[in-house]
Amino acid sequence: MTAKAHILIVDDEAQIAEMILASLEANGYTAAVAYNGSQGLERASKEKFDLAIMDIQMPEMDGITALGEIKKIDPEIEVIIATGHGTMGTAIQSMRKGAFDYLHKPFELKELLKVVERAVEKRKFNDIAKVIFSTPKPEDQLRVIIDAVTRILKADESLLVLPDRDGKPRIAVSEGLDDDAGRASRLEMCSRVMLQPASAAKSLQLVESPSLDKKFSDIKGLERVKFSLFLPLVEDNKPVGLININRDADEAYFTEDDMQRARIFGSLVNLALRNSSLYRQLQETQGQLIQAEKMSALGQLAGGLAHEINNPLSGILGLTQLVLESTDKNSQNFADLKEIEKAVFRCKKIIVSLLSFSRQEKTRTEPVNVNEVIEETLTLCARQMELKHVKIVRRLAPGLPMVNADFQQLMQVFLNMFTNARDAMPDGGELAIETRLLKTPAGSEVIMTSISDTGAGINPDIVDKIFDPFFTTKPVGKGTGLGLSVCMGIIHKHNGSIKAQSEPGKGSTFTVSLPV
Amino acid sequence: MDRKILIIDDEALVRNYVRRALASRGWAVTEMDNGASALDLLRRETFDVVICDLKMPDMRGEEVVKRIRESLPAVRVIVITGSVSNITSPIVPGVSVDGFLIKPFGIDEIRDLAEKVLKNEGPRG
Repeated sequence: MTAKAHILIVDDEAQIAEMILASLEANGYTAAVAYNGSQGLERASKEKFDLAIMDIQMPEMDGITALGEIKKIDPEIEVIIATGHGTMGTAIQSMRKGAFDYLHKPFELKELLKVVERAVEKRKFNDIAKVIFSTPKPEDQLRVIIDAVTRILKADESLLVLPDRDGKPRIAVSEGLDDDAGRASRLEMCSRVMLQPASAAKSLQLVESPSLDKKFSDIKGLERVKFSLFLPLVEDNKPVGLININRDADEAYFTEDDMQRARIFGSLVNLALRNSSLYRQLQETQGQLIQAEKMSALGQLAGGLAHEINNPLSGILGLTQLVLESTDKNSQNFADLKEIEKAVFRCKKIIVSLLSFSRQEKTRTEPVNVNEVIEETLTLCARQMELKHVKIVRRLAPGLPMVNADFQQLMQVFLNMFTNARDAMPDGGELAIETRLLKTPAGSEVIMTSISDTGAGINPDIVDKIFDPFFTTKPVGKGTGLGLSVCMGIIHKHNGSIKAQSEPGKGSTFTVSLPV
Repeated sequence: MDRKILIIDDEALVRNYVRRALASRGWAVTEMDNGASALDLLRRETFDVVICDLKMPDMRGEEVVKRIRESLPAVRVIVITGSVSNITSPIVPGVSVDGFLIKPFGIDEIRDLAEKVLKNEGPRG
């Protein structure tokens, strides 16, 4: 078994140090002894300790100074100060310097062990907080939370319940629950707890033998659970989820200490969830700002550049055609000049796409039915899809509210996405188009359109770049790399958002959200 | 009688091929690289069609076209421009022109348009 914690004992009285050492080791800790402050610091700089127990009066360097120094070496270490002639003054001084707690000598070993246990627990919480806060992906974060709560509260099973998109509770992660029936019964129990009035739903709740409790007695499959703890997750003072911790053994009561731990843990999780949602919002906003800036800079550049390039380009085209007129149609020169002519047309096409950024064209918005735009766009490309053996699957929600939008521009966006989907499936496949009405957490409504293909998917390395102007994976001459950035520009003008998701080998899904 | 055409563009490359494209169809083409000299010439000589670029140093094409319209209502005017974002309706505010082309354009495009505007007797759009 791994040690509960690694502890540094700093005391100039060898007898006391040895005694502490023996008692810690007897209780499952590992420890090392230093006989003065500077020795202690040396140890701490070479070895990682969770905790230090430090005497205050020592030759050479006193405990208060050593405390400050050791915190410089390892800011995470917890320090317990032991003082034989302690006044309140030194105790307060040491707490100010960051000590976890202090003990008056002579202390009983039992007392020491209790303080050590609490300090180790705090370390554990710190570590968990660190892991939760440094886990960027929300799914991973939930897993870390459940693992931690299972460990800290010695749970036989634990689960985290969050509302899904439609507001229905679902199990986001669980531990110790392998069978579907078990999961279903726990979920039902949690749903009922979440449905309570807000005041009750926001506080920690303990239920003994839920299968005998009248609130849950009709739920089958809860017999195994002897003690249930419900820890609500709160955001903006509203319950947003629930952690359920269950113990199965007869005597495995949740003690007051357990409840305290659960409360601390709950606030930690709430903070972490809040932070990570803020962090994601920040990242998203930053991304949008960067994108908008890129667009506007490119638009300005394009406007000026187009004129400068179009003049010489016009000359190349005209002169090439003049020479073509007096060239033998069967000569190599004729073929070469034709290539030059084609190249000019390609340049022209790039410039025209480029200019769709800088064009100060006003968006003409009117109430638009998104399903209608999709149908209209599909009429345009149905034939092409058929030729490429692409099957179109419609999952359009009926009775959607109208959005304020420019019909033509939306068509341009959908046409671009459908064409991309078709190009992603050169050997045929399925293009699925789905629309639905969604409620945002803020309470507003959006219409979400997802466009999925069964093509090769997008390599994760480039998925961040696909909306960048000029980024293309199509062969030279086939794509300008402007399609998706124009789409993004249009959707942003409509106060909407556009996202890409892809699983290499399985296909890609583009999601366009437009506010109602 | 030869049909006479004046091309005004500060870009020699463009003037060059437009002149040759039209000359080979029997037009008498004169080149000018700025608006002021072109207006000078127009006071002394008669042209059937004027082709005018918009973005030029000194005097902008819009101004040139406006003055031609004021003093020579019978002349057909074709505007050529390298910037799509300049395309508004009407192409020159307050002035109607007979046709316009966006650069890069090919030799057949300018030939066809020149023929077309000359035949067009109706009101200018």
